[in-house]
Amino acid sequence: MSENFKQLPEELQLATSAHVKYIQSLDTRKDEYDYWLTEHLRLNGLYWGLTSLHLLGHPDALPRAETIDFVLSCQHESGGFGAAPGHDAHMLSTVSAVQILAMVDAFDELESRGKGKAQVGKYIASLQNRQTGTFAGDEWGEEDTRFLYGAFNALSLLGLLHLVDVDKAVNHIAACANFDGGYGVSPGAESHAGQIFTCVAALTIAGRQDLVDKERLGRWLSERQIAGGGLNGRPEKKEDVCYSWWVLSSLEMIGKTHWIDKDQLIAFILRCQDPERGGISDRPGDMVDVWHTVFGLAGLSLLRYPGLEPVDEVYCMPKSTTARVLGR
Amino acid sequence: MADQGGSQHGIARTSRVRSEEQKQRDLQRIQKYRELEDQVRSHVSRADYSPQLFQLTSKLLRLNPEYYTLWNVRRRCLISGLFSRPSAGSSCSTACSSTFPTATTTQSSTSCSSSSSATTPPAPGSPTAGRSGTTAEPGAAGAPSGTFASDDPAQAPAADSTDSATAAAAAAAAEQQDLATIQSELSFTIPLLLESPKCYWIWSYRQWILAQAIARLRPHVARQVWEAELGLASKMLGKDRRNFHAWGYRRHVVTQLESAALRGASMVEAEFEYTYRMIQTDLSNFSAWHSRSKLIPRLLDERGADDAARRAFLDKELNQIREALNVGPEDQSLWYYHQFLMLNLVDPDKHPAMTRGIAAGDRAAYLAREIDEIKELLEDYPDVKLIYEALFEYTLYLCQLEDRQPTADERADLAAWLAKLKELDPMRNGRWADLERECGL
Ligand SMILES: [Zn+2]
Repeated sequence: MSENFKQLPEELQLATSAHVKYIQSLDTRKDEYDYWLTEHLRLNGLYWGLTSLHLLGHPDALPRAETIDFVLSCQHESGGFGAAPGHDAHMLSTVSAVQILAMVDAFDELESRGKGKAQVGKYIASLQNRQTGTFAGDEWGEEDTRFLYGAFNALSLLGLLHLVDVDKAVNHIAACANFDGGYGVSPGAESHAGQIFTCVAALTIAGRQDLVDKERLGRWLSERQIAGGGLNGRPEKKEDVCYSWWVLSSLEMIGKTHWIDKDQLIAFILRCQDPERGGISDRPGDMVDVWHTVFGLAGLSLLRYPGLEPVDEVYCMPKSTTARVLGR
Repeated sequence: MADQGGSQHGIARTSRVRSEEQKQRDLQRIQKYRELEDQVRSHVSRADYSPQLFQLTSKLLRLNPEYYTLWNVRRRCLISGLFSRPSAGSSCSTACSSTFPTATTTQSSTSCSSSSSATTPPAPGSPTAGRSGTTAEPGAAGAPSGTFASDDPAQAPAADSTDSATAAAAAAAAEQQDLATIQSELSFTIPLLLESPKCYWIWSYRQWILAQAIARLRPHVARQVWEAELGLASKMLGKDRRNFHAWGYRRHVVTQLESAALRGASMVEAEFEYTYRMIQTDLSNFSAWHSRSKLIPRLLDERGADDAARRAFLDKELNQIREALNVGPEDQSLWYYHQFLMLNLVDPDKHPAMTRGIAAGDRAAYLAREIDEIKELLEDYPDVKLIYEALFEYTLYLCQLEDRQPTADERADLAAWLAKLKELDPMRNGRWADLERECGL
């Protein structure tokens, strides 16, 4: 981040304490209809909120013991986790569970009070399509490179990547590549920033970045930044904080972050925050939510905004966590 | 992770302070919602996948289509009662689930169920076999419950030839029932999709239902169901031309309609024509241009195109995109497609479809002509950075194709274009600096 940024007006400073309070308040809103309508995202939401707090330097702002209890209460016999008690197991909530347990350093409790790491690994591995290498989200079979990335993310954190056919999965990602250097949701699908993040991050975890056409992809990604500083997810679409993260983290993974205007992106993300009540929205003036809050903060962290903990661009977790768990 | 439900997109920030009246209304809604949810959980905990539970999922999914577990409950209700019998497709997916749990991968369902055509009489003893005469309107009052009378004649083991006629009639009735169930489910999801066109779970459920059509109905019957889906994909793309769920869905539907399981044949000509129509409506629709780039290799192969025909095809595509660029040189979508065509010239090993018969010298001539045409664009549009970017890139391509360094004139051009890029597009100065260094300008 350049020097001149420090002279930005007050409303463009990060409202750290408001964001912490906002995240702490999320589980107290049981008198709001939306709280119940979003229960299918509870575990994911906890991951988004907890990651935000870690990046903000307040890792203890949510009670650790309750966090672990809640995560373990979502686990099924299969080893997979549902979004909340009473919800079916799914890849997305299982990945969130593993990420949360990694952040609060509680894999030992998964072993002693949960179904154990090995069972989680077995659940995730059972979702790989052994013919094509890709992954389904659950037993009902929807396939998407999001699930492949999730599997690689969680399995590598658990040290269990060997349970799946990594080469087949890598070949599947290669088949999702397009002439513009990007990746789609499945072979034949249009390049899409979210899918590019999942594919490039999965290839990075697998140690196969050599398959990425970095020049062409970097060019496509850098063109996502539009007037106003925000980034969109596809050509001719509107900018959005969450897409800004996927584009930015992908650029970081391929070493091309300097191909966009970082200061303008910082200013865009800061314009999306609610400085009084906390939280970050998709675009300035819109409703905040914890999803855009974590991706906004992760973006700011990657852009070296002062006072934020460094984020791991592959895992979207604090670097201190991935360093500890992966031994890097 | 790509976009998720539950996140707020495009909803204006308003004061979070609710009036007492609003709070009361919220509490009432919460109470109603949680009562429904409690009832669902009570059925599920007893593994009671009855029509009553099925109706509850309808009510709750209309309130919250993102509730993925409910879609799963609904599937279990169908499998354990409302469908005519456990399908070979679903039993296969259970049997294979340790290695290959994909019910929507219809190739797997059909390959595992080669003898499962609906003309095969239901297995005797199957709890749901051959319910004759019941009209299956899932959720309708009086729908059959999950368990069935054991004195159903169709369940008796076939002892002689008159029983095989009975069995055939039962199979026909079973197919009618399944077709009705499938169509009812497809109708159920339509209003939900129109309201939440980006909800992954609805799209995924709909695909599962359609996979059931392949597993449970005779091919010509299943085909009619799938053909109607193309209409839905078009309708959704009519509402949002870039909805990637709808584009992906369309690709999936077309692949299945082309498959042997549905007695299909190639639809590549029709789909190529569809991209043309979409582009005619909106030149900026990159989704359509992308789709075109993916269809071309197959299209030319299936036409049995010789080298000359392929080259003529390239000429036509070039003319089309050039005309589009003449009116919209600021449109990234057009330039991406133009790049795709240029890549065919520069890298025919990777992209041989249109250029495999064109000699290297001729390919260079093509490129040189494109560069000249693009230079002409500058006369009308001197401040469009995408033009300078294209000129820069294609000049380097030309040198690469002719295996030489840029000439002095070209170097002067490259430097001038790069200066213009820096001026017009300072956001990407880091990239321009890298290019400058790499090219030694
Ligand atoms: Zn967003």
